[in-house]
Amino acid sequence: MGEILEKIYGMTALGNFVENPSYIIMILLAFFLLYLGIKKEYEPLLLVPIAFGVLIANFPGGGMGVYAAVDTTVNGVLYHNAVTLSDGTIWSDANGIPYNIYEVGLPLIAHDLGIMNYLYYALIKSGLLPPIIFMGVGALTDFGPMLRNLKLAVFGAGAQFGIFAVLLVASQFFTMQEAGSLAIIGGADGPTAIFTTLKLAPHMLGPIAIAAYSYMALVPVIVPLVVKLTCSEKELKINMKEQDKKFPSKQEFKNMGVLKILFPIAVTTIVAIIVPDAVSLVGMLMFGNLIKEIGNNTSRLFNAASNGIMNAATIFLGLCVGATMTVDAFLNLKTIGIVAGGFLAFGFSIFGGILLVKIMNLFSKKKINPLIGATGLSAVPMASRVANDIALKYDSRNHVLNYCMSSNVAGVIGSAVAAGILISFLG
Amino acid sequence: MNFENFGQSLQLMGIGLATVFCVLLFIIFFGNVLIKLVNKFFPEEEKAAPSAAASASAVDANVAQAINAAIMKLTGGKSKAEKIERI
Repeated sequence: MGEILEKIYGMTALGNFVENPSYIIMILLAFFLLYLGIKKEYEPLLLVPIAFGVLIANFPGGGMGVYAAVDTTVNGVLYHNAVTLSDGTIWSDANGIPYNIYEVGLPLIAHDLGIMNYLYYALIKSGLLPPIIFMGVGALTDFGPMLRNLKLAVFGAGAQFGIFAVLLVASQFFTMQEAGSLAIIGGADGPTAIFTTLKLAPHMLGPIAIAAYSYMALVPVIVPLVVKLTCSEKELKINMKEQDKKFPSKQEFKNMGVLKILFPIAVTTIVAIIVPDAVSLVGMLMFGNLIKEIGNNTSRLFNAASNGIMNAATIFLGLCVGATMTVDAFLNLKTIGIVAGGFLAFGFSIFGGILLVKIMNLFSKKKINPLIGATGLSAVPMASRVANDIALKYDSRNHVLNYCMSSNVAGVIGSAVAAGILISFLG
Repeated sequence: MNFENFGQSLQLMGIGLATVFCVLLFIIFFGNVLIKLVNKFFPEEEKAAPSAAASASAVDANVAQAINAAIMKLTGGKSKAEKIERI
């Protein structure tokens, strides 16, 4: 009888929980993230799959956690990209030689390490899903407001300041690759952060993705906070429509339809020439937008990109990213650094955009509302909506949404370019 | 303090911000050129070119007719659909 009970105890995960209570912390974290996603509606489309990925990855014996590939020394010999299994042994062949996970076939990964590792190494580590999601984002993006206020797109560059400011600080506590991955949170773009981290510091993927998406969900809190600290009431009352009337633009648009078709092709070409490493993100973003703007002839492609493909990609991206957050990968001091550094990067990015507006206002007769600089970070369209609400609080006739969308959409391109630069220099 | 990392980060900050500015300034410049070219060579908006997003939500006339016929039959001709949208 005692033996049977022992076997049942061994079959369940209870023994592992007693041996290593850290699993319980991770499961509680998963519950908290699920609460934020479901009840508080913080980016539920991504936070719910990520949180559920965290949950299923942290049941010991479930085999759903993603193993990190690290260089390991065995008997004085260095083996690249080896995997240490949850029981502490190194994943090896029949002769005891550790496998290089990037050199073995996917069926062997599925057989030995489980289906979640198969999905992670096939879909995420290969860098496939972030560009696919960018294609969907492109299909859902309207570049019309940006084309109508093209000059305001420059603030999409100012708001990348946070990325490089935090890189400077983080480089003192992390390796350059880790610092680059942490800093890209300031771009306020989830797929970009994931793509960059995969290239530079894949072992930090889980915490960085969580930080990036959590701060994006907190845009309605962070943007007003930074704006309140850095802008005066007079600046926030600058009415963009009145400024347009005072200093009318000579630009006219005779055929917006054709313009919107040519624009994604032109942007892809420009980015491809200047920063080739950003093409996988910007190129797919613009492809998604092109099939939307062509109209009837490509409507089937548009439907696939913006619905089926994007939704499937989001599910797998979320679950796999969550599954990387195992006890070893998450419960360490670096995670605290990522959470703090990510917040700083986000705040500095908003400040960078505001600062650029303030500098331009010093030299220009036509004044610009600093909220348009604050929306230079990518979180589209939430940042613009939040900025519009702030503007309306100070002046109920001051609708800045369309102006903000210009810098906001430019911010998506800006953060993808910044990611390309980080990958090209640090990768 | 790690001066090597600090120096590299400072260098990346300069190169990175300058490149992002350059790319967006190029996009603004070529965007304006594109606007002028389109105004010159395609001055009129084509009417029959709804975007993919618009056409995706539209319902085919035959489908609308079939839905209306079904509603009329079920309600004994008392009701008909005024607007049909894909959701």
